[in-house]
Amino acid sequence: MADQELTDRVRELIAENQVLLFMKGTPSAPRCGFSMRTVQVLDSMGVEYGAIDVLPALQPLREVTSEISDWETFPQLYVNGELLGGCDIVEEMFDNGELAEALGVEQPAETEPAAPEAPASDEPYKSPPMSIEGS
Amino acid sequence: MAADLNELKGMIESALPGSTAEVIDETGTGDHLRAEVSAPQFEGRSRIDQHRLVKAAVRERFDDGTIHALTIKILD
Repeated sequence: MADQELTDRVRELIAENQVLLFMKGTPSAPRCGFSMRTVQVLDSMGVEYGAIDVLPALQPLREVTSEISDWETFPQLYVNGELLGGCDIVEEMFDNGELAEALGVEQPAETEPAAPEAPASDEPYKSPPMSIEGS
Repeated sequence: MAADLNELKGMIESALPGSTAEVIDETGTGDHLRAEVSAPQFEGRSRIDQHRLVKAAVRERFDDGTIHALTIKILD
């Protein structure tokens, strides 16, 4: 039986954030390859999203998501209050264009074009795939 | 404890009558598996619901720790 207070809080977060990712680590410092891949897909879509690091409360959050979404592995991507899926579903929906549709955005071009407004630099900007940051 | 791939295939196919499932050991260690499934029950359901059906079929083997990771591929 999941903790009621935590369950209520999770339900609130899902309702308040149009796009919400429960992940291991943070977008700038993912702690799991599947979470990292999901972040990379979301970043390529250019949407704003909320991210919750599940690691500090992994087991209680598993119980909560198991109860409200019948799903206990992370990452989990919620769009408009519904669980869309984990890493493999998100990647598949990205590939076939369904993710863009669900998010209400244009499918990004196959190869990432250099942003025309971006200041000139030696290398195109890429978010670091994994980085350690002081907390 | 290594998973019995044939048992898992049978669990999926009996939970979803009319389905066909192939279960593959991706790492050779018996606990990171891949299931490729097609089933008439998938018709009209979202991807996440399709995955839920497959996971539910083998839940017992997750719960007893036989499987740690199952990648699901739905064949349309």
